[in-house]
Amino acid sequence: MGNLSNCKVIFCIACWCLALVAEAQQDTTLYQLQAVEIFGKPAEVFAAGSRVSTLDSTYLSTYTSTTLAEALQTRTPLYLKTYGASGISSVSFRGTSASHTAVLWNGLSIALPSLGQNDFATLPLSGIGSIAVQHGAAGASYGNGAIGGAVMLTSPEHSGKGFGMELQQEAGSFGRYFSQAALRYKGEKIAIGASGYWHDAQNDFTYRDLGRFGAPDTRQEHARVQQHGLTQDIRWQLARRSHVAVRSWYTYTHRQLQPAMGAADNKAEQLDKNLRLMAEFGHNSRLGETSLKAGYFSDFLHYTDNSNNSTTDITTYQLQAEQTYTQGQKWSLRGGLNLQHFAAEVQGYGGEVTENRASAFLLFRYDPDPKLALSLNLRQAFIKGYNPAPTPTVGANWQFLSFGEHQLYLKGNISGSYRVPTLNERFWQPGGNPNLKPEQGWQAESGLRHLYTQGNFKLESEATAFHMLIDNWVLWTDTGIGYWTPLNLQKVHSQGLELSSRATTTIGELQPGLSFSYAYTATEQVKSYEGSAAELNRQLPYVPLHKATLATDATFRSWTFTGNLIYNSRRYITTNNSGSMPGFALLGLALERQFKLGTGSLHTTLRIDNSTNTEYQTMVNRAMPPRAYTFNLRYVIQ
Amino acid sequence: MKRFTSLRGFLVASVLATGAFMFTSCDDKADGPTNTYAENAVLISNEGAMGHSNASVSYYNRSNGTLVNQVFSKENDEQVLGDVLQSIAVHNDRAYLVMNNSKKVVVANANTFKAEGEIGGLEMPRYFAALDNQKGYVTEWVTYNSNGRVAVVDLSTLTVTKTIEVGVNPEKMVIAGGKLYVANVGGSSVSVINTATDAVENTLAVTYGPNSLAIDRNNVLWVASSNRKEYDPKDWSVSEELSQPGALTKIDLSTNRVTTTYSFTRNAPAPTGITTNTTKDKIYFVYDNKVYQQDIAATALNTTPFINRGSSYPSRSFSSLGLDPANGYIYAGKAPNYTSDGWVVRYNTTGAVVDSFRVGVAPNGFTFR
Repeated sequence: MGNLSNCKVIFCIACWCLALVAEAQQDTTLYQLQAVEIFGKPAEVFAAGSRVSTLDSTYLSTYTSTTLAEALQTRTPLYLKTYGASGISSVSFRGTSASHTAVLWNGLSIALPSLGQNDFATLPLSGIGSIAVQHGAAGASYGNGAIGGAVMLTSPEHSGKGFGMELQQEAGSFGRYFSQAALRYKGEKIAIGASGYWHDAQNDFTYRDLGRFGAPDTRQEHARVQQHGLTQDIRWQLARRSHVAVRSWYTYTHRQLQPAMGAADNKAEQLDKNLRLMAEFGHNSRLGETSLKAGYFSDFLHYTDNSNNSTTDITTYQLQAEQTYTQGQKWSLRGGLNLQHFAAEVQGYGGEVTENRASAFLLFRYDPDPKLALSLNLRQAFIKGYNPAPTPTVGANWQFLSFGEHQLYLKGNISGSYRVPTLNERFWQPGGNPNLKPEQGWQAESGLRHLYTQGNFKLESEATAFHMLIDNWVLWTDTGIGYWTPLNLQKVHSQGLELSSRATTTIGELQPGLSFSYAYTATEQVKSYEGSAAELNRQLPYVPLHKATLATDATFRSWTFTGNLIYNSRRYITTNNSGSMPGFALLGLALERQFKLGTGSLHTTLRIDNSTNTEYQTMVNRAMPPRAYTFNLRYVIQ
Repeated sequence: MKRFTSLRGFLVASVLATGAFMFTSCDDKADGPTNTYAENAVLISNEGAMGHSNASVSYYNRSNGTLVNQVFSKENDEQVLGDVLQSIAVHNDRAYLVMNNSKKVVVANANTFKAEGEIGGLEMPRYFAALDNQKGYVTEWVTYNSNGRVAVVDLSTLTVTKTIEVGVNPEKMVIAGGKLYVANVGGSSVSVINTATDAVENTLAVTYGPNSLAIDRNNVLWVASSNRKEYDPKDWSVSEELSQPGALTKIDLSTNRVTTTYSFTRNAPAPTGITTNTTKDKIYFVYDNKVYQQDIAATALNTTPFINRGSSYPSRSFSSLGLDPANGYIYAGKAPNYTSDGWVVRYNTTGAVVDSFRVGVAPNGFTFR
């Protein structure tokens, strides 16, 4: 791919720009301990010394029609592996694999129990209020799978009283349409929000087909994506100190799975239907906050191609109870219990499989001094036959220096994490291995955070170094006699450096913001337990050594400009590093103008994705779309 | 067949799970002159991981030991060879690369490896055999469980001129005396096609699952059959109890009669990859991860392995077997998995290891020129 050198130039310019300004990260220090009446203390409070970032709200409103996959690819130093324009998309935190990421929706894990992971291309941004990203292990706080990190999705919270609405229509290149409607009402006691979306993309872009004789320009076929979904949130304040909430989230994704270049189109299609319902109850008393959450999730997946027809139908019941006691500004203690029940009807299991899992956790935050925050957390999971080791976390955050407008924080933590084998890993026939051990992770990280404020200029920067060991990492292995089996095959060592910076200011009517992030991730297998497949001390496939993002948001009067530049370095595609995909840079631009219209405002947005028309792949031989234009009309009544 | 269905089943269920990946590498261009691949060539077909289009060809020069991997993409401007390279056949300076999951045969100059064209429209193609410079044959499974066919290819236009229905899962072919013999691995027969009329004129009954064929110096066709295998439901190994033993069948081609069937004593392992030496007085096959040598005049199966690396040693240790007609060396492909490159191990005529070298993902066959 010849435009690599161009990419490098762009990247260098970007880095240079950055030297002038610079962060998108929010530290846990921002979450000050609050008085008891403030409800819903986020779990991040107990993650002192770790790194949590939030996705910018400007970005989320401009890119509502996209998915979590695109948002994370664009705005975080995470690597996303996407099987072409219509394919599944998985995330890699700090060099770990897709199943090493916990995804939580309003505090409950929503990983598909059969795969132990989520397809980020099926998680829309529509209907999601905020997205926080926990970088690094947090097994004590988020439980199973939070080895590399966690993504926390939260339903929208509306501030203003009365009615509000939003209508949105979008059209774009390659046969792409998106519509959305959202309504909300907030009264004295009740708050209601509902939204629905509909999305259809043909993805019939033209690409150079390297898999055909003479590499002709070819129109992509069989890559259509059809999605729709609904979210609904009702919150009812029962009394001054107690409330109930009922939330639902339904997503439907029907995809034609784009074949690799050179591979036959076997008409592979996947239908995903995910219904997630939860009810929560919160109560404040002298004994602290009580939170009860009950979830019912139904995950249906139907895969077909010319010679396969396979369904996965899993019902999950989940119950989480927490009690949090906070003593003034000094300390806070949370104890909780999480129960899960899975009932899986999966063709590959040869019958219904059920499983119960439980975990108990204790999270403690102690601020001996306003400048020092400490946390000590512990979780123990219980699964019949698979009890993982207890996962503790010890963390600290210390504002050790403050001079003029500068504040410097030193932070660090040591945390354990675990992942119990998935249902597929244990019950798939043939090959499911009932003797697998849980994976176990250990991580130590340390960093510096710098805060500079002068007038309305604000600069936040952070540097973190981490070191992680994951033992008993499960890999599917060909037995050579006709099927695959998962084995606790390797021990993996990952270490790296993460830098981030964000600058914001106001100059008259102009409000510019610039953020940057960079991650260096070296991940290698250091030990192999079975077989001869050891490829020790080589970078794992699909983990770029370098990833950088540069993002800017600027508002001037009724105009808003958004720019996103990302760079991924070379990714190896074999475990012995014999082949690789070249590094690439992607530039996305969006310009929005707001008009007053009646009681609301009309937002018109022109978006250009892959502005430089870069030919790139994130998964080997899967063509990705070239430059694409999108026009969006959004009418909002606050 | 089982292997592909279960592999696909696995992919279906764990589409996100760590797959097997490989890409036409971004290494520098081969710096050799044209006709680099003409001399003393051993062409190694590296199957690649299904769905990833990372199949590749390796070239090994057996006189000076030069090894070039990713030959096709190097010589064709980083183009992608395709998905699942099932086999390579060379005829008249042309290499026919059968791309199973690309539904085509890629045709390249065997000396330079520049692409010359494609034979398209094939359904699950497996093997290629050329009759002469004008005509070739490709076995096609078409489906997993019904009758397959043999495509007749015009080699000047690279188009299919006719298809001939044969048994289930037609696999390897041999041509002798104006006849094309096709092993139907999903059934219990060898189809005999007259190459003058391109019609089936006989069907020879053999033990279930004929997977490979060889013709010895006495005009006897040797057929290796796997027979029916069942999994042990407890640990998913191949069950000794429930499976049927494989067999070698000898067919006298002058009469088309089965003269001998050697049945193996154990039920779980299966004989595969049958091939002959240069003088065609010995045949070789793989059984229970060991290589056996059989004198064609012997009256019983040779039970002493020729190459024995133990049955537990990498289960895919002998994923493929090739016999160098020049010096009798045995080439064995070893594929540790589908996410890293495999190896080729060479053995001399006494069965001792000579050397080994690293090729592409999942080496599955050898072509000697």
